[in-house]
Order: sequence, then structure tokens, then C-alpha cells
Amino acid sequence: MLGVDVGGTFTDVVSVRDGRIEVAKVPSDPATPAAPVIEGARRLGVEGRPVFNHASTMGLNAVITRRLPKIGFLTTEGHRDMLTMGTVWRPLDAQTDAGWRRSFGDAARPLVPRYLRRGVTERLLPDGSVLTPLDEEQARRQLAVLARCRVEGVAICLLNAYVDATHEKRLRELAREVLGELPISLSSETSPLAKEYARASTTVVDVLMKLVYADYATELDRELRDLGFAGELNFADCAATLLPWEAALEQPFRIVVAGPAAGTVSCARLAETLADGNLICCDVGGTSTDVSLVRDFRPIVSNTFELEHDLVINALSTEVRSVGAGGGSIVSISATGDVLVGPASAGADPGPACYGRGGDAPTLTDACLLMGLLDPDGFAGGALRLDVELARAAFEALDTPLPLAQRVSFAYRIAAANVAEEVIDIAIRHGVDPRDFSLVAYGAAGPMLLPATLELLHVKRIVVPPHPGLFSAVGLLSADLVYSDSRSAYVVLGPGTAGTVAAVFEEMEERLRRRVGADRDDVEIRRSFDGRLYGQSWETPFVAVPEGPIDEETIPELVERFHDEYERRFGNRFPMLPVQGVTYRVQLVVPTDKVEYARLEPRDASTAPRRTLELRYLADEPLHAAEHERETLSSGSRVEGPAVIREALSTTFVYPGQVATVGGVGELVIERTAGAD
Amino acid sequence: MHAFPRPEEEYLAVERAPVAGTCPECGGGNLAEYPVLGEGGWWNVRKCQDCLASLERERGPLFGVYVPLGLEILRGAGG
Amino acid sequence: MEATTVSTGATLIRDLDANAFLQRYRCDRFTATVLASRFGYVVEHMCSQLLTTAFSPILRDFYDFAATVTGPPSADYATPAVSNSIILFTGTMTDSVRNTVEEYGPARLEPGDVIVANDPYRTGTHINDLLFCRPVFHAGELVGLVNLKAHHLDMGGSVPGGFSATKTNVYENGLVLSPRALYRAGRPVQETWSLIFDNVRFGSFMFPDMQTICANLELGERLLLETVERYGAEAVLGAIEYVCDAAAERMTLALEAVPDGIWEAEDFVDCDGIDDTEAYRVHVRLTKRGGRAEVDLSGTSRQARSCINGTALDAKSTVGTAFKYVLDPRTPFTSGTLRPIDVVVPPGTIVSALPPDGAVFLYWEGTQALIAAILRAFAQVLGDAAIAGDHGSANLHNAGGVLPNGTPWVSVGQCGGEQGAYGATVDGDADTFTLSYQANGIAPAVEATENDAPVAMLRHEIVPDTAGPGYHRGGSGVVRDSLWLQPAHHYAMPLRFRVPSGFGVNGGGDGETGGVWLWEPPADGVVRQRGAGEDDYRDAVPVTGHLDPETHAPSRSGEYVWFGREPLWRTQPLAVLRYVSNGGGGWGDPLEREPERVKVDVRDGYVSVTGAARDYGVVVTGDPDDDPEGLAVDLEATERLRASRREQR
Repeated sequence: MLGVDVGGTFTDVVSVRDGRIEVAKVPSDPATPAAPVIEGARRLGVEGRPVFNHASTMGLNAVITRRLPKIGFLTTEGHRDMLTMGTVWRPLDAQTDAGWRRSFGDAARPLVPRYLRRGVTERLLPDGSVLTPLDEEQARRQLAVLARCRVEGVAICLLNAYVDATHEKRLRELAREVLGELPISLSSETSPLAKEYARASTTVVDVLMKLVYADYATELDRELRDLGFAGELNFADCAATLLPWEAALEQPFRIVVAGPAAGTVSCARLAETLADGNLICCDVGGTSTDVSLVRDFRPIVSNTFELEHDLVINALSTEVRSVGAGGGSIVSISATGDVLVGPASAGADPGPACYGRGGDAPTLTDACLLMGLLDPDGFAGGALRLDVELARAAFEALDTPLPLAQRVSFAYRIAAANVAEEVIDIAIRHGVDPRDFSLVAYGAAGPMLLPATLELLHVKRIVVPPHPGLFSAVGLLSADLVYSDSRSAYVVLGPGTAGTVAAVFEEMEERLRRRVGADRDDVEIRRSFDGRLYGQSWETPFVAVPEGPIDEETIPELVERFHDEYERRFGNRFPMLPVQGVTYRVQLVVPTDKVEYARLEPRDASTAPRRTLELRYLADEPLHAAEHERETLSSGSRVEGPAVIREALSTTFVYPGQVATVGGVGELVIERTAGAD
Repeated sequence: MHAFPRPEEEYLAVERAPVAGTCPECGGGNLAEYPVLGEGGWWNVRKCQDCLASLERERGPLFGVYVPLGLEILRGAGG
Repeated sequence: MEATTVSTGATLIRDLDANAFLQRYRCDRFTATVLASRFGYVVEHMCSQLLTTAFSPILRDFYDFAATVTGPPSADYATPAVSNSIILFTGTMTDSVRNTVEEYGPARLEPGDVIVANDPYRTGTHINDLLFCRPVFHAGELVGLVNLKAHHLDMGGSVPGGFSATKTNVYENGLVLSPRALYRAGRPVQETWSLIFDNVRFGSFMFPDMQTICANLELGERLLLETVERYGAEAVLGAIEYVCDAAAERMTLALEAVPDGIWEAEDFVDCDGIDDTEAYRVHVRLTKRGGRAEVDLSGTSRQARSCINGTALDAKSTVGTAFKYVLDPRTPFTSGTLRPIDVVVPPGTIVSALPPDGAVFLYWEGTQALIAAILRAFAQVLGDAAIAGDHGSANLHNAGGVLPNGTPWVSVGQCGGEQGAYGATVDGDADTFTLSYQANGIAPAVEATENDAPVAMLRHEIVPDTAGPGYHRGGSGVVRDSLWLQPAHHYAMPLRFRVPSGFGVNGGGDGETGGVWLWEPPADGVVRQRGAGEDDYRDAVPVTGHLDPETHAPSRSGEYVWFGREPLWRTQPLAVLRYVSNGGGGWGDPLEREPERVKVDVRDGYVSVTGAARDYGVVVTGDPDDDPEGLAVDLEATERLRASRREQR
């Protein structure tokens, strides 16, 4: 199996063969994005590989940098400003900041400037009836303007088109007549869900992604085949589920980004391996720590995703929250003398001060180096020598009367405290108790920072997986192949509504089955719906819908299941209120190859440390910590803190009062020793 | 007071009562006493009108001029 | 308690050495930093849980609640953390907790109590906002309180839900709760629950929301107690003081950077719900000396005769909000934020109303005029940092009726002028489609609105040439046309059309004023889109606005039309209701705006070709509708036009 994670700086190609994990790291190249992927694949060899799974931040980067193709947007007359309005709300921390601007608004950087957003005379009502017929002549005039402006694609989103697509489809025909063959996305096909803004912005992003990804994907497939690859090329979506690349390109808004979700999927695979279904997933990266949840062996997924604040798309996505505490997060001093970590980051370039690439701001990595947690000669497998003196100079340059020791230790401990608070918050949002969860520490810096949170958080234990620095990329080889569809219909669930609901599901399932191949019987079908209590303005997503035919007896069961799910999520039950179905979802899960963790045979390995280190700034006196090589440890080994466990790309820090035990697949399980304070 | 008729005057003002003295901060003699709403609620202050230094801040009633009638029961007096 | 003035010569907190810091705050700097963020997180966690579990849309969509951690009476209720939720609650939270606990009697508190109160004259905002306070005890000592104030769907009174400009006294307004126990020692106080639920509508929705809120307070208590157990009560109390001192110091330093002076300004609320004979003035005299400021509201109108008033606590809160906008926009609000600022407020004004006749409900309409007046006062000294005016009113619209099958329907806050312009700043052109400076929230989708009520939203767009011109342009006026498919009645309560609320700053121009109109059903039954030009209003029934008597279009020289002449506006099927909100103010001289940026505005329809010449002195040629990329600037003609404009000044 091969997976590739195309990041902004590096393209990581990961191979798993016979349980062995290998990586090829190639610098990314925005000008020819496919080239590094092919180069990495060539190095690791493609022959005999069943799958090549692809994740990329290319789409997201194109949106964030606004290096976007020029497209037009057609909507119902009177409503072209829906794209500058969004859902209106400002971020809470900018509430009294008159300088804040909506990033995608006309006053900042719109995805489609207002003059390319054109109103069309037509109007449907929510029951699908026509208030105003489509005025084709007027529509042609609008299309002529788009032609004059030489747009490369068109997004079409008419009001209430999720109920009836007739006007949108006719507009597409007219657009083809006037503009010729170019990518067009209809909201009624891209994301036929109620609430126009999210549907419109999804449709806009869809057209943009068609233009961003089409040539790239075709080239990638061709060149992989030229190399001798005979397996399936799959693209990962925002929830890191996989789709064959041609299918992905039919609705490419789903693959706008896939990076952070892969780590959560990797955790879900680890959950199966460890038979521990409830995990808090913490990925300490260069600029931030990403926190997500696996509950009952599955990632917690949202029904929408924000590319920027309030720039919403209707993509299923793994819910990930970020806190500015990564290895490159910059340490600073507030106006009143507090030591702060992040949210600013030194990134990969120039990077932490100790990289010696011109960064002069102290970072979390510099703090870890000064504490003695990082080995200056053994960083990133020895690829980079860290300069302790530069790290020290950066901390000494901070404008504060605090002594160096406090600057460093405060930075480390405050980063840990910030991560702990974020973990508590995401747990509260999902109504789960951290005491029932294990915390998975990954990302190269994860095992170094996160054990400190065990002192602040009541989690069961901390788990450091094998290869924590590659763990996210391995997620691409742990994902399901999933075809999915969804559509909206406002239905107050009650007698006489089974026909409507059944028809919606049948239509979606039939289409999906046709796509997968009707003869396959090894697929799993997952149905669900998003509903609301009558009078609420938001939906409760993913209420499970039973298998089998949907008839009059199913409807009360749906209502009951809604109340159950509502109570599970929110703690209250309102059986007296009618339940309204809003959006219906189907997923077809196709079996696919996944990574297998190799069992570690217990062997008679010594747990004698390689040497003893002196760790500074954690206490008044230096701490003496045992230094171990992770590969010398075996299943059942115990390491008492304070200790440092080294491997090629990571360092694990076992805090004083903690003990690390090596588990069955080589994972390190860190717990507080009994009686530790 | 517990009940207030709508004021007769169209526009209302706070009276500042001039008081004798010297501001210890700026040395000015322009002092006045009046009620303010600040950190901690209502205060009757003696303030320098030039540099805004407070010479005295005495805690004012909890709700300003409003005294709910019900609260009088424990004080043994009406309005 | 500590001295309440900041002595500006004092050592800055950042320069305190370890010993001095420990002496003052009973903990070391690291602990203080961690606890400072801990207090913020405690209220954030409480909000997260409330948002997750609340039933009521107004909590979910408008964050119409606030949570605080508050110090004990011995710390004078110092408040180190107010949640980032609705701005309107921010500054009243600190006083309302003190007033509630002091009236109830701190000595009566015991672990497991919850105290509830809602009287605006005691706790600010309006009666639908119930304040819940839970004491936190450690080793038998009261170490603090966790508190939550949240909007509830109904509190009884003459108008369901309460939103109205017409109630004239506290008796019509609804149930007043003086501070009382909702729980004592963990057990519900039955008579308090009954008092509330015997008097409110929609009780079956409110009941679980109130239980949720009480569960929330338990979470807050648990988090604060864990903190006290980990760091000790002394350190926690010291850190509370530290956080408030830090906020006070930031505000003091920010004030010191502003030149000393005295500035006066005023703004207006159109009228009340009784008649249009009295426009309500909010007058501000802002004095700034060194690191101190005083805001005197003398000269402000007496309270209104119907429920558009706010209370003195709202006035204080608004002063805090205005100073945050101008001087310290990004840091969290604490009770120390207002330490260098005194508010001088005469009792009985529209922003300091008193019972029983100074009814309070739409309290933000008066305080919107107050925030505008303060921003206008600051604009006289701030130069580049000045903030222009916004659309100024919530422009709330509620409607209702009965479907042919007998089902009643309501539309709440979906079809009025709720979303509008911001004012421009040094940072650039302003956004359009925001709530006002004191609110924030999620706007309902058109498609959701149309599913909830028999209405079709025909238009929700910016109106060209309504933004205040400037080097940076204000946000634009927004037109919203709603077509009513069934007989309907409407509550209109817009209050800021007489005077442009979107004042320009630093040489920028004012935004245009808007209005509200009604078109009777068309005789031929055919629905048409209508423009928003001067001649499009002749056949409309003016509901409100400052309008030309002939054309009915907004006009500075026209006359004010009062919305209240019909207590309820009734419409027949296919009638169209239109709101146009006020444009936001511009920033800087419009004659300095780069002609290219004016051309982009013409291309995008924010400014017309005529408007470009009139407001910016820029001559744009071409057809913006049919050939938007073919527009050009006639630079020579622009130079000439701008020169003559400058001469005319």
C-alpha cells in the first residue's frame, strides 16, 4: 500500500509492506504538484501495490491564497449577495474589533467578485411551485456578460433548488449554449441541501476544485500507470474517507483538504488494534496542536466544514479543533508580563531559532531543546543539527525581567495547559467524560509535550503509537472507501410521510449502487438523517436510520431514534415536540485494504537506559532522567519517569511520577504511578 | 425612592456640587462632589475637575436612586 | 478593597520583580498566567455546554447569554472573566452579580444554592434575561461565584415573547423577579419554580433550558473548585485581582496615548411607541486626562413613554463596549476594564430609566445611540483611529398569522432590517450584512425562513450609493423585500431613521438613511421585483423613514413618518414589505480614494456612475451592467472634477 500526503512544504509518500513502514520525503512544488508525488512513488516502488491513496491540501491552499480560477455565479435575482453575507456572524474574539473583515466578503477577498455574481429572473417556492418562471432571455443576457468576462467555470445556485432542479438544469443548458464546454456545477446536484448560503458556497468551491484538480489528477494517474502501478488511485476527502479518483472529481468540493482528518482515521484504526474505542486524538504539528475525538471506534464527524471563518462547505469532515501550541509556536511576553505561546508560528521557514535558518523568535521547540528533552545531534533522524546557543539567545532576547529558567519552563508548561483546556472543551462540546478516554499523542513533537497534560487532565492514559511522526500519513492507509450522497426535504415526520422519505433514500441508494457496481454484495450501507425539533433553527445530524424498506411503521421509529440521539448528545428529551426531517444521508462502504499493526513478540530485551540525562528548568534542581532507545524496548517493558525515550523522528518524555509500559504492537502506554501527586 | 414619575424636563443633568480644597495630584482647586457609576457600582465621589483624580470615593446605594419598596420591610420604614 | 483609581505613576505589572509580584498577588507569575487563562476557559467551557444543550434558538443563534467567574464579596465581586458571548451583556454582568448577591444576603449563601433574578433596574438588560448565580465554597469559605445570564423565551406580560416598542410600564412588561433562591443546598425551591412557570408562556421549552443552565453552573463550580484545590484559595483570589489589574492597566495605558481634552457629541432615537412628537437625544461629554476618563450623559433626554429604554447599568456597559472598540478591541473584558473610567448618568433618562413608567425592553436601541455618540466624540480626537457609524438599529421585524388550515405561524427577526452596514475604519472599506455594534449572531437562511412562515424573500441585497463615501467606504444600506403569501400582521420597531446613524469620520461622508415601506397586493396578481431608486417608492405606503412627501424615497429634506400610527400593520396575500437599513459611515476624504478603487465599486454595483462623480469626483465611463470589465476612468476629467470639488469646500 502507498499513501501520499501533499503538504505545503513536503510531499510525504508512505509505504506499508509486510507491516514495515517506509517514507519518502520530497519537497513540494506548487508549479508542478504531481512531480514530487511521482518521484516519491518511484523511490518506494509502485509495482504490486493494490492502492495508492492520495491526500492533499492543494485545494485549501488555492482557496486560502485566492490563487483561483475566474468563475461566474448565477443565482435568483435579488440574492447575489448571499456569498458576501455568509451566515453573518463575526468570530467571538473579534466582537468589539471594528477592524475585523469577513475574509470572503466584498470588502476583503471574495471568491467571486460581485460583478461576476449575476441574478436570474426566476423564483421557486419551498414546495417546488413556480412563483416566477425562468426568464430565458434575461438569463442569456447575464450569461453573455460572463462570456464577455471570459469566465472559466460557472456555479449555479437558485433559491429552493434543493426541492426542484428544473430551473438550474435549464440554466446549465443555456450556459453551454452561450459559454461552450466548461465546468459547471449545479447546487441541486453538488449538494441538494436546504439553506442557500452553504449550498452556494459548496457549489462555488466545487467548480473551483474541478478547475484546480482535473489536470493534476489525470496526470497523476497517467504517470503512475507509466511507472507500472496497476492498483486503484484513491483520493481522500475532508473526513479522510477514500474515493476512486474519477468519482472524487465528480464532486471535488469533498477533496478540498484531507490532511488533519487522516490522523483521526489513523487513531480509529489504532482503536481497533488496541480494542480501546474511545480516544482523544492530539496531533502536535509545527504550527498548532489539532485535537479530535474517536468515539466507539469511529471519528466524530461534522456535516459541514469551514475553510475560513464562516466560509462553509457542506462536506462531511472530521471535527478538528486547533490550538496554537505546535513545535514552531512562538513564545512571547504580553503587555502585562505573561509568557504566551502561539498563536503566531515560525512555521517551517525560518522555523525555530535553533534551526539556525534565521528565525530569531523563541519557540516551543527551542524550549524543549534548552530543557534537554531534544538531542541537538539526533533531531529528525540527525537530518538537522540544533543550535542550543541560538535557542538560548532567542529566549534571552525576550523583554521580561523573568530569569531564563522561568521563561523556558513557563513556555513548556503553558503550552501543555493550553492543549489540556482545548481537550476539555472538545469533550464538553460532545458531552463525553475524558476519564473514559485515552489520549493518543502523535505528530513528531506530540510525545514530548503531551505527557505533561496528564498532570492536568483526567484521562485514562496516554498512548504513543509506533512512528508518531508518520502516524497521520499512515491514516491514509487506514481509511474506508466510501461513496456517499445526501439531499434535503423538510418533512414533519408523521403519518403519511413514509413515501416521501422512502423515495429520497431509494433514489440516492440506487444511484450509489449503480456507481459501485450493482452486483457487489460486500458493501455496507449506512443511512442517517439530520432532523430538528420543530421550532429549532439547527439540525441534529446523523440520526441512524434502520436498514430495509421504509414504511409507515418506520416513521415512529425514526422519531424515537431522533429523540434518543438528541438526548445522547444534548442531555434533554422533548417527546412532545414534532420532529422534522431535513437532510437524508446514505453511505456505501466498500471493503478496502488497510494497514495492519505487527504484533511485537515479547523478547528478553534490556530496559537498561543508554545513559542518564540532565533535564533543566522543570524543577528547582536539574532532574536526572534515564534515556532509552525505543527500538530496544519490547512488549511489557516498563520505564519509570523521569525518562526520555528516543526514536528516529520523535522523543517521548515520561514525566516524573509517570510510568511508560510497552504494549502489544509497540505502543507506549503512559500512566501516572499510583500515589503520584 | 421606589416609584418615579416621568421627569417634566425634557433633558436631564447631574448636578456637581463645588467643594473647597486642593487636588493633591495636580494642585488645582476645582473640586466637586457627585455620584458616578464606575468599577464596583455607584459611588459618591469628590473629584478634581481638572485631572479627574478622586479625592474620595464613598460607596453609593446598590441600585442608584432606586430603592425597591419591598426592601423597606426589614428597615421598618416606608419609601 | 483596593483603591479604585489607578495611580498612573505606579510600577507596571510587567516590571514587578518576583517578590513584589508574590506580595501583591499571593501567587507567582506562572500561576497567575495559568489562572488568568483558566478563568477564561471556565466561562468558555460553560458556554460550550450551554450552546450544546440549549433548546432555544435565540441562545444558539445570537449567543444571547453570558457566563462569568466572579470573586467573593471580600474581593468586591471582582470579575476576571466574562464570556465572549453577546456584547450587550458584557458590562452589566459584573454589577448584576454584586447587586443580586448583596440584596439576597451573602451570609445566607450555602453550597449548592442557585440565586435567580431578572429586574432590569437591579441587573440591567431586560426581564427575559434571567441571571443565575451559584456560590462556590472551599473549606467552608465562599471563594467565588459562577454565574450565567441567559435570554428566556417569555416572561409573561402583554406581548408574547416581549419584543415590542409599545409596552408602557413594568406591569405590562412581565414578571419581575427580585433575587431569590432557585435551589437551596442543592434542592430545588419549589415556590420559585412555580412563580416563574405560573407566569410565563412556552414554559415547556423554558423548563429544560433552565435545568440545563443549572447543570452548567454545576460544571462551572466543579471547574473552579478543581482550580482552587490545585492552586489554593489565596492564589486564586490573588490571580482574580491580577487579571482585573492587568485589564485596568491596559485601559489606562491606552487612554494615556490619547491627547487630553473634552469632546461632546450626541445621537438620537427617532421616537417611542406612543407618538412621534419627541425625538430622544443621547448627549455625551467625554473628558480625558492622562490615564483617566469621564463620560457625562447630562443633556440626555428623559426616559421614553414606552419600552425602548435602557437602565444605567446598560449605559455603563455601553461605555465599556465603546472604549473597548476604540482602545482595546481584542482582550477579554473584566470588571477592571472600567477602572479608569467614570460614568456620570442622570437618573430617569432613556438610557437610565426608572420604574414603574420607564419601561425597558428594546434597551439596545437607546444604547446604540449612546455608543454612536461616544464614537462621534472620540472621532474628534482620534484621527486615523476613528470608527464610523453603523446601521444603528436592530430593525427587528416580527410577523404572524393563521394558515388556511387554522395553524398559527410566526416569523421572528427574519424579514426586517436586522443585517446592515458597519462603519469604515483605517483598516479599509466596511463590511455590509452584520448586526449592529452591540450584537452578533447567525442570520436565518432565506430557505429556512420560507419553510417557517408563508413568505418569499424577493430581495436581500445592498443598495448602490447608500454607503458613506470615504477614502475607505462604509458598508451599504441593505434592501430586504418580503412577499407575504397569506394574510399577516406585522410588528415594526425601527428607531434610527431620522438622523443618519452611519456618520462618517476623519473626512468621510455619512451613509444614507433607509426606511420601511409596504406595497399592497398587485391588481393583476403578478409578482414583480422592484428597484430601490428614487422613483420606485411613489406607489408604496410609507411605514417609516425620513421621506420625501411626494416620492416617498428617503430624503434629508423630507419629513419623518412614524411607524406607530398603526399598532399592527396588516397585509393581504401578495403584499410586499420592504426594509432598507441605513448605510454605514465612510472613513477619510472620498476625493482621495484611488480612482481604480472607485471603478471597482462601480463595476461591483456598490457605487453608480453618477454616484462616482457626485461622491468621489471620479469620472467612470462604460456600462457597468453589460460590460463590467470594460469600464474606464477618465483621469483628466477626474482631476478637473476633484479640483473643482476641493474648491467648493
